[in-house]
Amino acid sequence: MIHYLQLFIQYAFTLLAVLTINFILPRLAPGEPIEAILPEDVLSAMSQEEINRVLASYGLDLPILEQYWNYLIGLFSGDFGTSVALGQPVWDILIEHLPWTLLLMGTALLVSTLLGVFLGVVSAWKRGDFADVSITGIFLFIGSLPPFWLAMMLIILFSTILGWLPAFGAYQIGLAKGSIEWYMSILERLIMPATALSLVHGASVLLIARSSMLISLEQDYIMFARAKGVSKRAIFFKHALRNAMLPLYTNVMMGVGGLIGGALVIETVFSYPGLGSLIVMGVGSRDYNLLQGIFVFATFSIVLANFLTDLFYPLVDPRTRRVK
Amino acid sequence: MDRYTDTRRFLAPFKTTTGKVQYLGIFILSVIALLALFAPFIAGFAPDEAVCAPFERPSSIHILGCDDAGHSIFSQLLFGARVSLFVGLSVAFFATLFATILAVIAGYYGGWIDRVIMRVVDIVLSLPFLPLVIVLGVALGASLLTQIVVIAVIMWAQPVRELRSQILSIRSFSFVEASKAMGASGYFIGLRHILPEVAPLIVPVFVRIAHGAILIETSLSFLGLGDPLQTSWGTILYHANSRTAFLTGAWLYWIVPAGVAVALTVTALAFIGFGYDASLSPRILRRKKVVPNIAKDEPSRDCVLSIRGLRVSYYSEFGKNEMVRGVDLDLKQGELLGLVGESGSGKTTVAMAILQLLTPSGEITDGVAQFQNQNLFTLSDSQIRSMRGRKLALIPQSAMNSLNPVMTIGTQLAESLNLGDKLLSSQELKKSIADWLKKVGLEEQHAKSFPHELSGGMRQRAVIAIAICNTPDLVIADEPTTGLDVLVQEEIMALLLELRLSLKLSILFITHNLSLIARHADSLAVMHRGIIVDYGSVEQVQNSPKSEHTRSLFDSLPKIDEQRRWGSSLSLEEKPVIELRDISKSFNSYDVFGLTSTSKHKALTDVSLKLYSGEKLGLVGGSGSGKSTIARLVMGMIYPDTGEISFKGRVLNSNSERKTLKNFVHMVFQDPYQSMRNSMSIRDIVAEPLYIRGIKDISLVEKEVKKALKEVGLPSDGSFISRLPVALSGGQRQRVSFARAIITKPEVIIADEPTSMLDQSTRGEIVDLMEKLRVNLGTTFLFITHDIVLARHFCDRLVVLKDGLVVEEGLVESVIESPKHEYTKALISAV
Repeated sequence: MIHYLQLFIQYAFTLLAVLTINFILPRLAPGEPIEAILPEDVLSAMSQEEINRVLASYGLDLPILEQYWNYLIGLFSGDFGTSVALGQPVWDILIEHLPWTLLLMGTALLVSTLLGVFLGVVSAWKRGDFADVSITGIFLFIGSLPPFWLAMMLIILFSTILGWLPAFGAYQIGLAKGSIEWYMSILERLIMPATALSLVHGASVLLIARSSMLISLEQDYIMFARAKGVSKRAIFFKHALRNAMLPLYTNVMMGVGGLIGGALVIETVFSYPGLGSLIVMGVGSRDYNLLQGIFVFATFSIVLANFLTDLFYPLVDPRTRRVK
Repeated sequence: MDRYTDTRRFLAPFKTTTGKVQYLGIFILSVIALLALFAPFIAGFAPDEAVCAPFERPSSIHILGCDDAGHSIFSQLLFGARVSLFVGLSVAFFATLFATILAVIAGYYGGWIDRVIMRVVDIVLSLPFLPLVIVLGVALGASLLTQIVVIAVIMWAQPVRELRSQILSIRSFSFVEASKAMGASGYFIGLRHILPEVAPLIVPVFVRIAHGAILIETSLSFLGLGDPLQTSWGTILYHANSRTAFLTGAWLYWIVPAGVAVALTVTALAFIGFGYDASLSPRILRRKKVVPNIAKDEPSRDCVLSIRGLRVSYYSEFGKNEMVRGVDLDLKQGELLGLVGESGSGKTTVAMAILQLLTPSGEITDGVAQFQNQNLFTLSDSQIRSMRGRKLALIPQSAMNSLNPVMTIGTQLAESLNLGDKLLSSQELKKSIADWLKKVGLEEQHAKSFPHELSGGMRQRAVIAIAICNTPDLVIADEPTTGLDVLVQEEIMALLLELRLSLKLSILFITHNLSLIARHADSLAVMHRGIIVDYGSVEQVQNSPKSEHTRSLFDSLPKIDEQRRWGSSLSLEEKPVIELRDISKSFNSYDVFGLTSTSKHKALTDVSLKLYSGEKLGLVGGSGSGKSTIARLVMGMIYPDTGEISFKGRVLNSNSERKTLKNFVHMVFQDPYQSMRNSMSIRDIVAEPLYIRGIKDISLVEKEVKKALKEVGLPSDGSFISRLPVALSGGQRQRVSFARAIITKPEVIIADEPTSMLDQSTRGEIVDLMEKLRVNLGTTFLFITHDIVLARHFCDRLVVLKDGLVVEEGLVESVIESPKHEYTKALISAV
């Protein structure tokens, strides 16, 4: 029990550290805070008194520690401030766009893990053969491509040249929400971004899976299993894969962090209405509140993923199980 | 035995596949770098100059056409290479530098510094890096400098983790311990040992960071966070995307080239780093299975196993190495045949060849192995597999690691019991598992245990049960007792002998431990450099060996009841040089987060001992008995929790006083391969204590080194001292260690099992050397060993340690002839 409490405290601490970074960053940025809130042309027309009033309304005239406290309280009550570009509460905007990112990421995580593990295991099985060299080679190359460029290439091929798939958005506008056609249009528009993301992320899963397999295949217990007459298949899937799962599990879960970033960039190529499309808008209009909100969301999901990884690790590795 | 040999090189030779891939990467990168460098001369136009109509299609002047503002895309591409390479290499430089410094600090100092650094690394690693870079980029404003800073900020953490774990393993090598024992400061060790060892690992880290940085830079610029004044590959794509170029025909010359440029650069970097990640390269050479020629000699028909003319070679990128060069062996029904040899003699290769379990690079080139009227070498893979575990069994060398860590003992035993058609009901299986566990001296409930829950001896018992549970016709036991404590070794040996009788097993017993096997085997085969040099009954081989090698093996093996081999030197002094009084010492172990200490391990409890000038004191005990802790206390490398240490009658009260012991005491370590760094010359190795004392005069250093080498019986000419130790044998390396130990003329030398990792035939020579040093230089010896026979022949007095307690102490003769403690008695009766 104490173990889980420790684990929880550790991750709570990590989260707090990240939130603190998030608080400090804009305050380290060059320029006055007011410049971050109001566009320059509006600002130049305002008197000092009006500016102070605006600052006070954002709580920016308070001592720094009080600001920090209010910031934390705000976060936990879902108050991420107001988006300058959209004039809406950031929380509401994020909640509205989040499901699309979750859909895209969830699909990609599932596909890339299955694809990566399967191909990684095949490569390890065929180590040094043509199959291994070509699979590893192709995915090494995919891993060297900018993810968004891969996405653009998919659009060129499947939308521009072949005309098979729609290139933009997440669903067809004009269809009744909830109708079968609407769901089909979602599926159709999910294929390309999910493929791009799955290929890029799958490449890293593949390399990890392959090297974990090769490492466990070199262990003494594999030699002993062979010496005791176990079939090659059983050695591979029962002995080696079971052990390769340990580093794989941790690495795949840690890769979630990279996946979020990848998803955000790929969304922008497809004008997918998830958090990624907000990033481009946020960057363009220097909308700090919005960007920070996305950052907090992304961090929270990674910390949560890592926490769950640690929490369930004993299920994967008996060596870390506590003595009853 | 993991021997430390330095084969780490960053670039593989060109003739190997790995090398070719790496050089291809270097070539591609060089071409791109040259194009970037000479961009102004090649491009023809400046990248930010409107030189043609917007969206102009490719022509002979504008090879890749123009973008929406009339910029030449070709020019942008060339200038973009400058930005991408500049950002990638700058980030790689700063992040690598920062990561290396932090990793060296964390890895070397350990303790709370390490924990704080690693905590920060964990936090940075759990940040969503792209969103963070975006937030940072927006906050700091878009510029090249911002890009470099923010990418570096997120890229340093992962390498710290990797480098730190490498440094931890380097630090655990005894050359670092040796340097510390010689009194070197952390700064000296970091600069002289750790940094040169880590250096080859820094290059791949650099390459990998550059790889990641270029990709992130492209993504950032693509999101509009690039330097607005510079054109990079990312900004080209940003503009192309915002003008939806992929919906027009412009994609071919606007989008494709920039992406290909990024991919080429990054792939080139991946190629260069290719050689480092050995698991990535398929560089093992797989040998096709060949059916070897039938040897001339007929195999013997009435034997369980009869081998004739066995030859095995290993192939690598660097050539062929014949490990077994024509071996004949016969194992009769119910016989225990000992196959004895030193490391590298090829004995394990023989075993693996019989079972057809050679590593992929090994190949049987000739020979016959007759087993039950079949030649094992001509069987197909599936035929031989169906014999393994049923008719042919292996008790492997590294029993500690031979059990699958994630499966219970019961599951692994069941796997063997259920081989082939023998499908047992779960009831039968359960009973059978319990039976076999009992037969090897384990209990029924151990079926539910995982390997890590058992002790080394218990794991070995489980391995034996798994190996022989189908009562095989032939058992190959490959060093089944190596790595276990002396008393546990005896138990395991007794178990094997008992099972041999009750199950009528025929055993091929492979070992380097001649004294062990000579006591139990029916016949002996002595292997040396790939051939059998002596073969016959134990008496025959022992009393009238045919080869000089066998004779020297037996000669080098002292017996406990023989006359003393080395002189006695009882000290006449009354006051000890070093005295330990009531010393206790505990070590903390930390929980997963490294924040709180969870348990204390008590290494020593109220230990008192005296070391008199000029004597040879033997410290005898098994692993975990506290021998090494005493050595490190005497060196002043660690400090006692309670108790007193005095030097020449003066009590050392503070830790800084205890540290001064290093000036008078020197240590020789167990592993001659790990205790010196392979990339240092013999001169620098031997002279290290002088360097640590700040002596820099080359001619003086050289003079002292030569004197010390002469003393230990090594050549001292200029060519020898500038050689690297790689080519030296274990025995020669250990002589170098002694030269390093005596160069500052210490009063006391602690010899920590200096012979236990050497081949039997060279052990005696090293003890001869210690005796000579004592006579010539009057050095006092604290001799640490688990080998009570050797201690009996070399030492004057003995201290027997068990679980951190002194259980017996006295003159060698009286301890050996009339041991008082049970443990000492057991040790003596075990030999």
